[in-house]
Amino acid sequence: MSEREISCSSALAEAMAEEMERDETVFVIGEDLTAHGGIFGQFIGLSETYPGRIIDAPISETCIVGSGVGAALTGMRPIVDMHFADFVTTGMDEIANQMAKIRYMFGGQAKIPMVLWAPDGAGLSAAAQHSQSLESWFVHTPGLKVVVPSEPADVKGLIKTAIRDDDPVIFFQHKRLFAQTGPVPEEEYLIPIGSAAVKREGSDITILTYSRMTYMCLEAADQVAGAGINAEVVDLRTLKPLDFDLISESVKKTNNVLIVHEACLTGGFGAEIAAKIGEELFDHLDAPVTRIGAKDVPIPFSPVMEEFVLPQVSDIVEGIKKVLNR
Amino acid sequence: MIEIIIPKLGLTMESAKLVSWEFASGDKVKEDETVLVIETDKVSFDVPAPADGIIHPVAPVGTDCAVEETVGYLAKDQEEYEQTIKEHPSAVSEGAEKAEMSVSEAVPPEDPQDQAPTPVMTEGRIKASPLARSMAAKHDLDLRAITGSGPAGRIVKTDILRALKEKPVVADRVSEITSGAADKASPNKTAIEDIPIKGVRRIIFDNMYESLSRTAQLTVHTDACAEALMGLRKRLKRDDHKISYNAILTKITAMALRLHPNINTSVEGDSIRLWKQVHIGLAMEANDALIVPVVRNPDLKTIREIDHDITELISKTRDNRLSPDDLANGTFTITNLGFADIDHFTPIIRPPESAILGVGRIIKKPVIKNDQVVPEARIGLSLTFDHRIIDGAPGARFLKTIKDMIEDPLLMIS
Repeated sequence: MSEREISCSSALAEAMAEEMERDETVFVIGEDLTAHGGIFGQFIGLSETYPGRIIDAPISETCIVGSGVGAALTGMRPIVDMHFADFVTTGMDEIANQMAKIRYMFGGQAKIPMVLWAPDGAGLSAAAQHSQSLESWFVHTPGLKVVVPSEPADVKGLIKTAIRDDDPVIFFQHKRLFAQTGPVPEEEYLIPIGSAAVKREGSDITILTYSRMTYMCLEAADQVAGAGINAEVVDLRTLKPLDFDLISESVKKTNNVLIVHEACLTGGFGAEIAAKIGEELFDHLDAPVTRIGAKDVPIPFSPVMEEFVLPQVSDIVEGIKKVLNR
Repeated sequence: MIEIIIPKLGLTMESAKLVSWEFASGDKVKEDETVLVIETDKVSFDVPAPADGIIHPVAPVGTDCAVEETVGYLAKDQEEYEQTIKEHPSAVSEGAEKAEMSVSEAVPPEDPQDQAPTPVMTEGRIKASPLARSMAAKHDLDLRAITGSGPAGRIVKTDILRALKEKPVVADRVSEITSGAADKASPNKTAIEDIPIKGVRRIIFDNMYESLSRTAQLTVHTDACAEALMGLRKRLKRDDHKISYNAILTKITAMALRLHPNINTSVEGDSIRLWKQVHIGLAMEANDALIVPVVRNPDLKTIREIDHDITELISKTRDNRLSPDDLANGTFTITNLGFADIDHFTPIIRPPESAILGVGRIIKKPVIKNDQVVPEARIGLSLTFDHRIIDGAPGARFLKTIKDMIEDPLLMIS
């Protein structure tokens, strides 16, 4: 497969264009889409190519998500742009009570082929209401699939699968990664939801991570390589369903686990993974499973404080050494 | 609710060690089913359930319990059982570890493993990562012998890998000592069975090692003309009942001990204690184990009485009816390997006794009398004594007295 370097933004735009071309029921609804091409410019050009299928809505997430759910029920494949993941709160009933449950409550007679696209994460000094990582809320709601990609190729492969999926998918894309470039195949490809990927092979410790932290973990892994530590970095890519087969394979090889996510530590998804590893891989563990996450405070506006609250590469390096008792 | 108590198996019995519970709390047991195994310093004993019911063990395995101490309960139904566990919380699971520890303590101090205890050992529970535990189990490594390098002395994967490298030296020796297992590193040897060293075997194991490692043993050999002994036995025969040689030899030895009180002794602390009474143990083989029931005061009994005592002890041994009293407080031991055509051997003293007589076979041998070679029945005699307290000459003199009495039994009344 031939490849080229493109950004996550471009990878997303390419995927949207391909899917809109392939299936005329695919459309996007959200705020400021045609005027700005999306808040991060991710949809620039799409409204000209597919007039009427990029729909600007009034500032009401309740209405926007509700419209998406209704359209999906009638057979459309809506992509609902949440603008900021933080705004899910105002559309929460539509997401948690309708989107997630309708197929179940109608005994499978209706389906919701819908993507809730939500840029999340901190690091842009956007303060507490625009910087959250809320994936745990949704993995805790049965009926939803939760996707958290990092690199451009994964964004493209996974959003295409999400659009074609007949069930609702929440697709979190980290704000700090829109400009992140990476190799993306020219040809069409799909990445199945529920498959993790080893982003760096190692033998001493398994670092389980996702989204932006994947890059931080890779950097930390490079740093500890100098100290003779060979870290394996696993990008989970999807939290629900979770690729526990790959986790299991890696943990059985390294016997040590560090879990890293940007979301705050308490009640974070790392707790779920750690518990599952403790239950199923106990005899393979050589040290307690350790987690790294943001401090349990609202994300500060001050860049200095924001950096203090979020996990840094140095924290991950320390975490690796702690697990390995070096 | 019925209490399960430590039975008093003999007059001298004061306590017993709790070896194992055969059931877990909540198990249903039937009357007379063995629920508990206890061990005195002489015997191990299966304690039967006093009735049908639901068992609730309380005392942990490995503890020493006084006679008649309550170690568990038997409830008649589920309701009573639940009441029982509330009133009498169990210490059984906690005790399992203690038992393990006491086994390691029981290894004699000469063992280098014991002289250099690892820091983890002193904390009671061995800290090891789950991986280290599963690896140790897979490779049959003893975690107690491994020093942990992880946080707070935790044994981790690298420690197991290091131990595996050293295994041919250390681990096999440990497993040889603790389980008698075959050398697993050798491809030419495969074990048929691993027999755990416990119960009576553990007692023999510890006693023999203790004996040879703590005393200075010297063995002297001689043999005696057995013609008079055989003649005496013939004369004592009555109604086709033959008196055993052991009965006569026990009487002879008892009378010899009366003449040599320095042999009938024990080391007690800083002194040598001379015993007033003579009690002679006879080594017997029972259920693949060495057992030594004791004949009381043979110096005061007739040979016939002694023979009766021995017959009774043999039948008790065969039927597993020996009580701790039958085995306790010997002052001297006789062991006879004549049945296996042994002439001489080096018996091992049974502490706290200070000497043991080994008796060989009676067989005709050529002897020179009046410069003529003549056939004569001879009996082999070996005496091992503790050279710390018995010098060579008095030890040899004692054996000479026995020899003289065998050759001329009339000397017994001297």
